Amino acid sequence: MARLKIENLYKAYGATKVLKGIDLEIEDGGFLVLVGPSGCGKSTLLNCIAGLEDVTSGDVIIGERSVTELHPSKRDIAMVFQSYALYPNMTVEKNISFGLEIRGMTKPDRIKAIEEVADMLQIRELLKRKPSQLSGGQRQRVAMGRALVRNPQVFLFDEPLSNLDAKLRVDMRTEIKRLHKRMGTTIVYVTHDQIEALTLATRIAVMKDGIVQQFGTPDQIYNDPVNMFVADFMGSPAMNLLPGKVVKKADGLMLSLDGHDGVMLLPVPLTDDLQARVGKRVIFGIRPEAFTDPQGADRESKQVEKRDCFVEVVEPAGSDTFAVVKLGGKSAVARLRADAHIVAETVTGLAFNMGKAVFFDPDSGERIK
Amino acid sequence: MSGATQDNALKGSGATRIIIYTVLILFMIFYLLPLYVMLTNSLKPLEEIRGGDMLALPKNWTIEPWRAAWSYAQIGVQPTGLKPYFINSIFMVVPAVLISTSLGALNGYVLTKWSFRGSDLVFGLLLLACFIPFQIVLIPMARILGILGLAGTTSGLVLVHTIYGLGFTTLFFRNYYAAFPTELVRAAQIDGAGFFQIFWRILAPSSAPIAVVTIIWQFTNVWNDFLFGVSFADFDSIPMTVALNNLVNSSTGVKEYNVHFAGAILAALPTLIVYIVSGRYFVRGLMAGAVKG
Repeated sequence: MARLKIENLYKAYGATKVLKGIDLEIEDGGFLVLVGPSGCGKSTLLNCIAGLEDVTSGDVIIGERSVTELHPSKRDIAMVFQSYALYPNMTVEKNISFGLEIRGMTKPDRIKAIEEVADMLQIRELLKRKPSQLSGGQRQRVAMGRALVRNPQVFLFDEPLSNLDAKLRVDMRTEIKRLHKRMGTTIVYVTHDQIEALTLATRIAVMKDGIVQQFGTPDQIYNDPVNMFVADFMGSPAMNLLPGKVVKKADGLMLSLDGHDGVMLLPVPLTDDLQARVGKRVIFGIRPEAFTDPQGADRESKQVEKRDCFVEVVEPAGSDTFAVVKLGGKSAVARLRADAHIVAETVTGLAFNMGKAVFFDPDSGERIK
Repeated sequence: MSGATQDNALKGSGATRIIIYTVLILFMIFYLLPLYVMLTNSLKPLEEIRGGDMLALPKNWTIEPWRAAWSYAQIGVQPTGLKPYFINSIFMVVPAVLISTSLGALNGYVLTKWSFRGSDLVFGLLLLACFIPFQIVLIPMARILGILGLAGTTSGLVLVHTIYGLGFTTLFFRNYYAAFPTELVRAAQIDGAGFFQIFWRILAPSSAPIAVVTIIWQFTNVWNDFLFGVSFADFDSIPMTVALNNLVNSSTGVKEYNVHFAGAILAALPTLIVYIVSGRYFVRGLMAGAVKG
């Protein structure tokens, strides 16, 4: 087990820069998730940590040791690949013990290690089978077994759940979290699924275009996004981002939005940055769960504002009901209790939890605090 | 491949089927006729052939022409039969096929999994080798064999065939390995396996289909080659094809057609056996990767 540190890492293929100065650090036993849309460089970054790609400049440090120049096998890491990458000609047992055999571990030791891992992952009855005879979930377990048996300093996961069906994915997600609790090994995990990121991570790095947009705890990423990209990317349904304007009224600063019958005013906190924007356009960000029916609103919140809104569409989803509302010239999504009484194409009173509201600069996309 | 499976096309009407089968049978006869003539006439005494009826079955069955062709027919000036030349061919074909196939596999592995700057160019040049006509390389090759001291030897022929086969064997293996998941190689690298360990333990066990294709291809080409054999072989390294020519084309004495037929079948036998034994792997290997399985 060890901490992992990435310092000012650059990676370029010819003239194309894929990673542009990555700085990350994850503590010993931490779970770092790299998340972002496809092409953001997250898999490249993982391959650089693994040593499967050479870095152009910068440093990768595992424990106290710089591994940037080391061969993948010398870095004391293990990796689970998206396609599982099980050796097709070997049995499960051989697959798991191949790395140990190459490293010259004796047969009795290998058998002991295999059995330990097989028990942990409940794959004992699969040991004699070939990968082609396994289901997707079983292959996934074997791939994890192959990584676990090596007992490395750092585990690397490259979108390990993306080839599983939806239900199995949720089960395996829990399983990975349980394993991490039990083993306490540092993990770096790549995914494009923001739910996986939020559920698994102790730290999340949201990436875009080879740059880390925000690096923080799941709570920071979700509730305190630094820019519109992070706010929009994390969370499902996505955060409502509505164009509005800051105005000064007698009883303080207000946000003015286009409502269904003229201008809607919502009180905003009296911060310096917002005060500096009086009369200017801002983007008002509010998560669907902070925009709900008055009975369902957070009772802890000090600043719940009720306003009349025009509901266009109602989408019952079992556990919740989603209402699409015309607001600020856009469609905003409100998340209501499942049994909230709401009818499409009517005007209904909805609650804005302004304690959870965030504001962005419409041009740069940066957060206004 | 046989029997009615779900992915058969719809069946035609009765009349169509009769026409199809008639045509197929006619073609079959057309293609099998030469073999039939060779086989029946190789089992007849010479007088019977001289009698004129080439298509008739033998009246007096004899295996004497076969024995003559194999062990005492006049080849050039020596009455040795084809036997020593058959052995020459085996000594030439087996190493040439094994070496060119192994090198092709290694080339394919490097070109797909360890590609380097200019690896596409190297592959392109190797491909070009497939299209160089034999005649062009004869004189430079003779020169090189002379310099190496291999002129007129079986080793020399092995070298020539290995080099000439490399283009094709590399092409086969490269295309096969291009579809081989690179993640497996990466996983093995992280597991600590080296260049040759990855090749032996990971790629080679999955290469049977393409290896069969390559071996059949190389075996047939090297065995059937005449030009290199006639150009570069010496007295004691003459391959089967050249010996057969010497047997049939001898300008003196009586033309012993029955012996010639037997000799021709003997010369064709090894490639026939290779096809019969592994033909279905050949088709399977050629198709591998063509359809998502």
